[in-house]
Amino acid sequence: MNKIWLVFMLLSSTALADSKQPDARYCLVCHGSAAQGNVAIKAPNLAILPDWYLRQQFIAFRNNWRGNAADDAHGKEMQAVANTMNDAEIDQAIAFIRRRAPVKLPISVNTTADIQHGRQLYQQCQACHGANGEGNAQLHAPPLAGQHNWYLVQQLSAFKNGWRGNQSDDSYGQIMRQFAQSLANDQAIADVVAYIDSLPPTQPLVRTTQ
Amino acid sequence: MTNYFKTPLTRRQCLGLLAKAGSSSAILGAAGIFGLTNIPLNASPVTLKPLQGKHRKVLILGAGISGLTAAYELERAGYSCTILEASHRIGGRVLTLRHGDFIDELGTPQICPFDDAPNLYFNAGAARIPAHHTGILHYCRTLGVELQLFSNHNKNCYTQDDAAFNGQPVRIREYEADMRGFIGELLAKSATAGSTLDQAFNEQDLDKFIQFARAYGDLDANLTYRGTDRAGYAAGGVTSPAILKQPRSLPDLLRSDFCTGAMHFAEIADQAPALMTPSGGMDSIVKAFLRQLTTPVHLHCQVSNIQLLPQGVAITYLKQGESYTEQADYCLNCIPAQLVSGIESNLPADYVAIMRQLGRGKLTKIGLQAKQRFWEQEDIYSGISWTKQDITQIWYPHHDAFKAKGILLGAYSWEPQISDRFAAMTHQQRLATAIAQGTKVHANYGQYIENGVSVCWQRMNHMLGCGAVWTEELQKTGFELLQAPAGNHYLIGDQLSMHPGWQEGAVRSAWHALADIEQRETLRTGARA
Ligand SMILES: Cc1cc2nc3c(=O)[nH]c(=O)nc-3n(C[C@H](O)[C@H](O)[C@H](O)COP(=O)(O)OP(=O)(O)OC[C@H]3O[C@@H](n4cnc5c(N)ncnc54)[C@H](O)[C@@H]3O)c2cc1C
Repeated sequence: MNKIWLVFMLLSSTALADSKQPDARYCLVCHGSAAQGNVAIKAPNLAILPDWYLRQQFIAFRNNWRGNAADDAHGKEMQAVANTMNDAEIDQAIAFIRRRAPVKLPISVNTTADIQHGRQLYQQCQACHGANGEGNAQLHAPPLAGQHNWYLVQQLSAFKNGWRGNQSDDSYGQIMRQFAQSLANDQAIADVVAYIDSLPPTQPLVRTTQ
Repeated sequence: MTNYFKTPLTRRQCLGLLAKAGSSSAILGAAGIFGLTNIPLNASPVTLKPLQGKHRKVLILGAGISGLTAAYELERAGYSCTILEASHRIGGRVLTLRHGDFIDELGTPQICPFDDAPNLYFNAGAARIPAHHTGILHYCRTLGVELQLFSNHNKNCYTQDDAAFNGQPVRIREYEADMRGFIGELLAKSATAGSTLDQAFNEQDLDKFIQFARAYGDLDANLTYRGTDRAGYAAGGVTSPAILKQPRSLPDLLRSDFCTGAMHFAEIADQAPALMTPSGGMDSIVKAFLRQLTTPVHLHCQVSNIQLLPQGVAITYLKQGESYTEQADYCLNCIPAQLVSGIESNLPADYVAIMRQLGRGKLTKIGLQAKQRFWEQEDIYSGISWTKQDITQIWYPHHDAFKAKGILLGAYSWEPQISDRFAAMTHQQRLATAIAQGTKVHANYGQYIENGVSVCWQRMNHMLGCGAVWTEELQKTGFELLQAPAGNHYLIGDQLSMHPGWQEGAVRSAWHALADIEQRETLRTGARA
C-alpha cells in the first residue's frame, strides 16, 4: 500500500505540498498551542518532558508498547501518528516542541484527595522520579511535576490495567507497572497524584504554574 | 400466528418504540429546530446595517460554513474581515473528495485515488439537506447553488442482519410490506381497543380505523395479510399474470433488528424525504460563498493565542513555523471547542471549562470507487442499504445513472465503538473490511471495487471530532454561557447550536453572533450621537 500511496503522492503535486507538515504542526493540534496539553483531547503536557523521554515514548508507540490495547482509543491516536514518523522526523518534532514559548498553567486542586496519604505513597516513586518529581534521565524516569493531574491518573490506571508496561521487551514500562499495581485503588491513585500536584516546579523545564 | 396479535400494544409502548427509533439527542435536536428555540423557523437572515464609513475589523477563525456565513454577511455591510484557516483547504466538515485531494487524517494520510471525472466524488462530511433547514437553503438559493433530490429511503435497497433470514440480504420493499401487513392485521383485529385511548372513539371512528389498518397493511376482506404486490412480484406481472411473493413469517421478521432501528430512519425529522443535496458535491456551497467573498481566506494559519483586549481582540497564529499577531474589533471563532481548549488564551475560565466538557463525536465514512454500477443491475438508483455489521450502511449515488463508474458510500456508522475500530485499522484494512462486509449485501461486491478513501473524523487534522457532543445536563448549564460573547470574541459553529452535526446549526450560530454584533454597534453609534 505504501508504494501505491507514494505513486499517488508523486502524481499530484499540490496534494503532495499539502501533505507536507513543516515543523510538525500536528503536535500542537492535539497537545495545545504551546504543547502544554489539552484535557479535551486527553493529550499530555509535552513542554515539561525532556527530549530523551519524548524520543523514548515515540519509540514505545512505534514498538506497540503503548497504544496496543483494543480500547485505548487515545493511545491509538498517538500511535497512528508515531507510526508515520521516521527518526529524523521525530527529532524535528522534538526540536519544534522545544521552540514553543512557556505557558502558564492554572493550578488545579483536587479537594477529595488526601495529600498526606499521597506523600506516603510517593516515597516509593521518588527513588526514580526524584523527591520533587523532577525525573531522572539515568533511570529513564520522566519528570512528573508540572504534568496535568488527569494525565497522571490516566497513565497510572493504564499501567495498572496493563495498557502500558505489559510487554516483555518494555523493561522500563514493566518496572513502572509493578509500582502502579501496588496502588490499592482509585483513591490511592488520586492521593499520590494530588501530592505530585502539590510539588513546587523545580524542574528546569517546568513552566510557571501561577 | 395469531398468538402475536393477542395483546394490543398500549399507546405508551408505541411511544416508547418511536422514541427508541431516534436517539434522544435526535429528538432534542428536532425540538430545537421546530420552534423550541427563540429563532423562528423562517427567520430571514440577519441584515446588518451598513457601517457607512466607520471602520470595523473582524477576524474569523476557521473557514467552516459558519465562518463563511459570517464573512459573507459582514463584508456586505462594510466590515473588513479576514479568515484564518489552519488546514490546507476551505470548508471544514463540508468535505467533498475527488481525484488527487489530500485527506489529512492523523496517522492515515491519503491522496484520493478516484478517477478524474466529474461524477466521481464523495461527500465525506455533510451530504444531505432537509427542506426545513431554511438557513443553509437560503444561501443555496441566493448564491445560486443547484440542488438535486437526495434519497434516504429506497425500497429496492437491502437490509441484512446475520440474525435473520440466514444472513441473506432482503429487499427493504419486501421486509416493509410484510411488516406492515402484520401490523395492519394486528391493528384491524384489535381496533376495538381504540376505545381505551384517551380520546372519544365512536363507531364511525372504529370503522375508519379498520379501513386504515386494511390500507396500511394491504389486507384482504377478512382483514388478514396474505402477501401484497407492494413486496414486488415473485414472477410475471407485465405480460403474464403476476405471482405474489410468499410473506415471510413475523417471528422471522422480528429476528432482524431492522424493524427496531433503521426501518424508521427516514421518519427522523431531519432525515425524512424529500431531502436535497447540491449537484456535484456538497462543497458547491463552499464554492458559491467563495465566488461572492472578497474577504481573504488565509490557509495554513493555525491560531495559537486568543487574547481579549478592552476594546477588541488580538489573535496570534502560526504560519510556516512563524508567529504573527493581528488585532481586530471582533473575533468570530468556529474552531472546534475541543481544540480551542488547547489554544492559549485569556478567555474566561468558566467559558473554557465548558468547552473542555464537550465530547468529541466519532464518525467514520468510507467511499469506494466501483468500476461498474452493478447496483443498477439490481434496480437500485440512490438510497441506502442497511446491515448490522460495522459498515452499517451502503449508499448508492443519487446522480449520474448509467455512467460507467460510480462512487459508493461503503461504511457510515454513528456508533463511537465502531468508529474506534475503523480508526485503529490501516487504510487498507478499512477498505478490506468494507469490502468483506459489503459482500454480505452484494455477492461479488469486491470484484467491482477499484479503490477507496476512508475518513475517521475523530482523527481528522484540525477537527479531531465529527461534532460537539453536548450532554443534556451540560446543555442546560453551559450552552447559554458559551453562546454569549466573551468580550468581543464569539464562539460559533454548529457546536453552538441545538443542532450540532448539521450545517443549519452552523449558519444559525453565525446569525446569532451577527445579531449581537449589530446590537452592540447600534449602541455604540447611539452613545456617540
Ligand atoms: C460525517 C459527517 C456527516 C455530516 N452530514 C451532514 C449532513 O448530511 N447535512 C448537514 O447539513 N450537515 C452534516 N454534517 C455537519 C456539517 O458538516 C457541519 O455542521 C458544518 O460543516 C460545520 O461547520 P462549522 O462552521 O461549525 O465549522 P467546521 O466545519 O467544523 O470548521 C471548523 C474550521 O476550523 C478550522 N480550524 C481548526 N483549528 C484551527 C486553528 N487552530 N486555527 C484556525 N482554524 C482552525 C478547521 O480546519 C475547520 O476548517 C456532517 C458532518 C460530518 C462530519
